[in-house]
Amino acid sequence: MSLLSWPTALIAAALSVPLLLLLYFLKLRRQERQVSSTLLWKRAVHDLQVNAPFQKLRKNLLLFLQLLILAAVLFGLANPVANFMKKPERNIVLLLDRSGSMKTEEADGRTRLEYAKDAAEDFVSGLSGGSRVMVIGFADRASVVCSFTDDKRRLRRQIRGIEPTDGPSRIGEALQLAVAYSSNLVDIPGVATPEAAMQGSADIELFSDGRIADADEEYVTRGNLRFHRIGAAVDNVGIVAFDVRRDYERPGMLSVFTHIENFGPSPVTLDVSLLLDGQRLSGPGSVQEVKLGAARPAETEPDAIAAPDEPGVLPASRSVVFDLHHESGGLIEIRLHREDALAIDNAAIAPIDPPREVRVLVVSGHARVRDLLVRGLRSIGVDEPAQLDPQAYETATEEDLVVEGRSAYDLVILEDHDTDRLPPGSYLFFGGVPKIESVSVGEEISGQPLVLWQENHPLTRRVMFENVFVAKWSRLTLPERAVRLVEGEDSVVMAFITDPGHQYVVSAFDLIESDFLWEPAFVIFLQNMVMFCSGSGLTGASRLVSPGETLTLHVPPGAEEVRVVRPDSRWEEINVEGRHTVTYARTHDAGVYVARFDDPGETAEVFAANTLDATESRISPNERFTIGAEEVVSVEGEVKVNEPLWPYAAGLALMVLLVEWWVYNRRVMV
Amino acid sequence: MAEAPITSPSAQPADELLDPDFMTRLERLEILSRKIHTSRQKGERKSKRKGESAEFADYRNYVVGDDIRHIDWNIYARLDRLFLKLFLEEEELNVSVMLDVSKSMDTGDPHKGLYAKRVAAAMAYIGLCNYDRVNLYAYNERVVGRRDGLRSRRVMSQAVRFLQEVPLGGKSHFSTAAKQFAMRHTQKGVVLVVSDLLDKGGFEQGLRYLLGRRMDVYVMQVLSPQEMEPELAGDLKLVDCEDADAAEITVSRPLLNRYRANLRAYCESIREYCTRRGIVYVMAPTNHPFESLVLSYLRQQGLVR
Repeated sequence: MSLLSWPTALIAAALSVPLLLLLYFLKLRRQERQVSSTLLWKRAVHDLQVNAPFQKLRKNLLLFLQLLILAAVLFGLANPVANFMKKPERNIVLLLDRSGSMKTEEADGRTRLEYAKDAAEDFVSGLSGGSRVMVIGFADRASVVCSFTDDKRRLRRQIRGIEPTDGPSRIGEALQLAVAYSSNLVDIPGVATPEAAMQGSADIELFSDGRIADADEEYVTRGNLRFHRIGAAVDNVGIVAFDVRRDYERPGMLSVFTHIENFGPSPVTLDVSLLLDGQRLSGPGSVQEVKLGAARPAETEPDAIAAPDEPGVLPASRSVVFDLHHESGGLIEIRLHREDALAIDNAAIAPIDPPREVRVLVVSGHARVRDLLVRGLRSIGVDEPAQLDPQAYETATEEDLVVEGRSAYDLVILEDHDTDRLPPGSYLFFGGVPKIESVSVGEEISGQPLVLWQENHPLTRRVMFENVFVAKWSRLTLPERAVRLVEGEDSVVMAFITDPGHQYVVSAFDLIESDFLWEPAFVIFLQNMVMFCSGSGLTGASRLVSPGETLTLHVPPGAEEVRVVRPDSRWEEINVEGRHTVTYARTHDAGVYVARFDDPGETAEVFAANTLDATESRISPNERFTIGAEEVVSVEGEVKVNEPLWPYAAGLALMVLLVEWWVYNRRVMV
Repeated sequence: MAEAPITSPSAQPADELLDPDFMTRLERLEILSRKIHTSRQKGERKSKRKGESAEFADYRNYVVGDDIRHIDWNIYARLDRLFLKLFLEEEELNVSVMLDVSKSMDTGDPHKGLYAKRVAAAMAYIGLCNYDRVNLYAYNERVVGRRDGLRSRRVMSQAVRFLQEVPLGGKSHFSTAAKQFAMRHTQKGVVLVVSDLLDKGGFEQGLRYLLGRRMDVYVMQVLSPQEMEPELAGDLKLVDCEDADAAEITVSRPLLNRYRANLRAYCESIREYCTRRGIVYVMAPTNHPFESLVLSYLRQQGLVR
């Protein structure tokens, strides 16, 4: 404990000088008065001194009080801090989890978010006056609810105003924000108060149920993270995966895949129903009874499908598949008929489009290659892919290639051809590159095997590149955002690049320099490609988003404005005049988002945001979790606050001063 | 007269020491002495000695040398024996007033000095009216002025002038003054001491000197209301007007209570001392109406009749 610091000394001086002056004025200056005789007075004073027991004390009361004041001031000067306190004053960042799991209703019907807000408010109320607090609300994204302030009323008001979302908990951005803001406090001279600079980084107080998806990936660089665990409810059954697919052979058939998991401590039986456009479907199979076992301990990875369970024990999760025949578009919805603590994961919804044929264009100068590509496409169910040679592609009319501002084809395969004729759409390049910024071709590389490929990417999943031989390829220069699908020893062989409205898969090798075309892997790759690129055309898979995810909409020609209707029936209008794409990010709530353009065709696009997140659905509060290497354990009991004691000393001095004034007056006034 | 507060002695006209009305009322009074005193002069007082007054006392046998003028010839005629007819001797009374004129008497409202002088004047007037021998002594630490041997009403103006002109000042030292008085004034008589008796030298020694002369002593303590109920506040340095002695006090209720108790005890101690020695003690606060003091209070106390 350093006793004296600059500001404290200053405060002490400001405190003591007036006090000293005051004491000077309090010093007695006796008034002279002539009396006939001091005989009796002296006798009286003497008697009083002799007779009254505490007369000496009484006489010196003012002195004692002055000593007391001085003591108090000196005590204040010493800048005392109580033992358990670390710093006299703090900067604190409150992180409030407002993800989907915080919507969990506790036993009394209040949500966890409300509890978290109460806890945060209590925390703020219990802080010492000088502490500066910042509030950050986070789900999948973080936002500053209230920047650093010591105004407790404002803090409480802002905390009260935090709205819940349905998004997943991702703490990374919030931590970055917290660190960035508290670093500002420290690093930038002038902005930071000297006190703040002295304190160093801010302490982070996390109010959450501890279900944080990215806890492992993040780490706290500055300050201490303390975790206030919120909530107690555990009973929940949720949909953790959901997809709708149309059958390739029979586009009228829809398969609805769901995966349902029980997170509660006891086995449950529930009905799962399938709804189309909000109506329960008649006929058998539209409602299925599902029996689920008790949840496994949280430590086990929720990889439910593959997990072998002991015989006789019900698995905690199950896949449920519905099949239905539906030729037109609409909204497919899955509902769990069960009351549990968290409601948002009891339904999943997906917009589907009417079935239409996948259109693929093959551009190649080599007839043989073109033929093999067309045959490969036919084998995966793409009827009559269009074919063009490179010259014809470059000279083709705009109407042939572009429909409604987008490429007329779901996928364009270009073999051995570089081009800049790229209307918004999906492109697969073999031996050529799209003429876009930061993509270029370098020297040739030969005699190297394919070393690494992404086994989990939708484009390369189950494609056996180990059997593929590539004689030579060109070194590619790619932008940062490119995803490396296949890599050689020191170069990229295949990459996936996304631009607004565009998707490119660039292969550095020419098909004729490899046996890829004759491998079974090629057909699988083609199928992945077609499904990936035309997914929206088939089932609207790309219209399934997580809450909080940004929607990218293609603006149809002639549209000037788009109105986005949110799940809660509120709507927003966005000006899209002269733009090709528009993004919409306010998708915090789960449900259906409808974007209507005011173009002549009145284009409408439907998106569905679903909380398909096992982390969120597992609502049992986490006692501890790790952030980086650091384990975070919930804080129990009351929050201890670092409080400097000098204001109390100063207050005491002031009080004693008042008492002294009173005593002085009493003595004088008789 | 009594109701009008007297603020300053110098502002008073000369004849206001005693106003004529009051003086006529004083004429009816006479000073009493509980002892019969002897005096060389024949006065209006009965004396223990048989003398030549009109009042018959006794007869006794004639012895050679007696004044033949006092022989009762009627008895000689009847009994043929010489008898002397004895008459009571009437003597004059020595009335002395010892007036404290120290600085401490120059305080108070009503003014102590003036009050004391008026008492002295009244006593002198009563005495002069009754053909007593009136002696006025002014003292502080010693006798600073005297006018003794005054007789008959004609010299009243001298007494008044003396009282008016004697200055107030100096320390008081009663015992020294009393010693001087006693040495000078050997005749018995009535002595009235008018003082505030706030004397650091004490009052007992002085009274002893007076008692030693077998005088009939009366003590009148004159105190101002400011001394009896001090109206002081705050932290004060009280300066004694006589010897510049300072007392630092912080006025508080306990202190004032203590002061009053001390004053009471002091006065009581004087009274007790006096009573034990046959001295009449009279307490005279200056706010006590002067006329009623003289006309009724002193009467009750037996000083005048």
